[in-house]
Amino acid sequence: MSVRALKGNGRWWALAGCLLWLAFTFFPLYWVAITSFKSPLGVVGGPTFIPFVDFEPSLSAWNELLSGQRGQFYNTFIASTIVGLSASLLATAIGSMAAYALVRFDFELKLLTALLFVIVAFGGYLIGYNLLGLRQGPSLVYAFVAALTLAVGSSRVRLPGPVLGNSDIVFWFVSQRMFPPIVAAFALFLMYTEIGKMGFKLVDTYIGLTFAYVAFSLPIVIWLMRDFFEALPVEVEEAAMVDNVPTWRIFFGIVLPMSKPGLIATFMITLAFVWNEFLFALFLTSSRWQTLPILVAGQNSQRGDEWWAISAAALVAIIPMVIMAGILSRLMRSGLLLGAIK
Amino acid sequence: MTRNDPIKHVFIWPALLIVLVISIFPLIYSLTTSFMSLRLVPPIPPRFVGFGNYAELLQNPRFWHVAWTTSVIAFIAVALQYVIGFAVALALNARVPGEGIFRVGFLLPMLVAPVAVALIARQILNPTMGPLNEFMTVLGFSNLPFLTQTKWAIGAIISVEVWQWTPFVILMLLAGLQTLPDDVYEAAALENASPWQQFWGITFPMMLPISVAVVFIRLIESYKIMDTVFVMTGGGPGISTETLTLFAYQEGFKKFNLGYTSALSFLFLIFITIIGVVYLAILKPYLEKHK
Repeated sequence: MSVRALKGNGRWWALAGCLLWLAFTFFPLYWVAITSFKSPLGVVGGPTFIPFVDFEPSLSAWNELLSGQRGQFYNTFIASTIVGLSASLLATAIGSMAAYALVRFDFELKLLTALLFVIVAFGGYLIGYNLLGLRQGPSLVYAFVAALTLAVGSSRVRLPGPVLGNSDIVFWFVSQRMFPPIVAAFALFLMYTEIGKMGFKLVDTYIGLTFAYVAFSLPIVIWLMRDFFEALPVEVEEAAMVDNVPTWRIFFGIVLPMSKPGLIATFMITLAFVWNEFLFALFLTSSRWQTLPILVAGQNSQRGDEWWAISAAALVAIIPMVIMAGILSRLMRSGLLLGAIK
Repeated sequence: MTRNDPIKHVFIWPALLIVLVISIFPLIYSLTTSFMSLRLVPPIPPRFVGFGNYAELLQNPRFWHVAWTTSVIAFIAVALQYVIGFAVALALNARVPGEGIFRVGFLLPMLVAPVAVALIARQILNPTMGPLNEFMTVLGFSNLPFLTQTKWAIGAIISVEVWQWTPFVILMLLAGLQTLPDDVYEAAALENASPWQQFWGITFPMMLPISVAVVFIRLIESYKIMDTVFVMTGGGPGISTETLTLFAYQEGFKKFNLGYTSALSFLFLIFITIIGVVYLAILKPYLEKHK
């Protein structure tokens, strides 16, 4: 028994507090579960609490939902699953690579190079759009390519001025989360429309939505995975380096297997984020790749307060995440998330 | 340890490129349009207005009202989340009986889609058919206007925020508590320090860095609150529960006033940055004292 374990009365007070909080946490979930089994009349007749005792459960809401009377339910579920799984898988893979590089290697970026990139990107866009009469899409693409080429080229030259290090790069990644999502979503929608006019359809496609989700998950992935990698003992890698094992094999053969718990936790947190996301899905999809949160929100606006149907739809969005919570807490108990923050 | 190897570029470039591509366009687009008068409906040709949008916004009482509402919701909700979350994390860390079940249960709300949470909240808070009304009727208060009167509605939104995001605080603080060394507590127990003294003398100071990070993240995320309010009250009654993001949504997608919306989002960004900087500046001396 640990020294910090509670003794005597304190233990029971803590238990009482936890039970109270558990009741607060569970009641809404319990409520939505029983409401989905109520008949329309049972809902309107006032609140009832225990199935078989004060109301007779009915499957009508579920029948309506599963028979497709409430919108393209199966399609939406499949789309949500495909986008969620692939976006979180990609984000975890790409983000871990970047996080590993940021932990184990030194990066140097001149402040001037970064400024050059921003100025050329802005200026190029404005010139292309206003003076050369290009559309927004092409002028953006040209400006971006020009800015990137110049920035990469300028990093070869010895520029004066302050140097940005690894922690600044991490901060830049994380700071992307501060930008108000509403603007990002709308601007992204416009960008996708412009690119669509150039021949690549991105609005309401698998690639468009997944790409957006990967990009917006990367900051979280990098932030979490960096801490996991920092907690790993470096000696194993050093031993491998002495044997001249190439870095990519150290990463895939040694580092990734060692950080499996961290990878799983990060993957699941990302999946929850993508699965529940509302705003981007609202702007970037219309029918084919619509996701569950949109369908759930739509239940309310289309038919009014039909709580039995809304509850059933909400449950479909909730249940996969409940299963995940079980797995995640298993990981938590075995202390695998310890390195997640420091 | 750090080493040098050209392969590091292969590792970092995919992530760098993706985030660059997807973040630079919203930035360029909204910054340029924030200096223009641009409406899609009715379509008028874009016109350069300099800081006109910004000046107009800063003089608009609605903007200040919305910023105030958002701050009230964010600060109260995060404060409650932190206090409750810390208490629960302490209890779990002290091996309260049945903590295995509590851990699964306490994690759940965080993983539920905010849209679904808001819809469930609307059912529970329904003034005639909801279970909360039933409960309040027993206490002698029937048909309270949970979502249709300003104070109740803001309280309801805060409760939903607390319900949904306290698990995040619990998760992070519990992970932090588990890394604290045992020997300090053994020494304190030898000195007969009371649990209260142990908390303020050892646990709280040692948890300060994590606490600061957790509160910071929650504060920034809370300022972006949108889907919950959108579904629960739609900003009403009137504009009394409207938040910054919802205001931007109304201006941008109901009125298609893009220049104004972009300016609003940059003011929003500046606002959050100021709060973040002030917050970190206030806490910095404490953080350094305990290092």
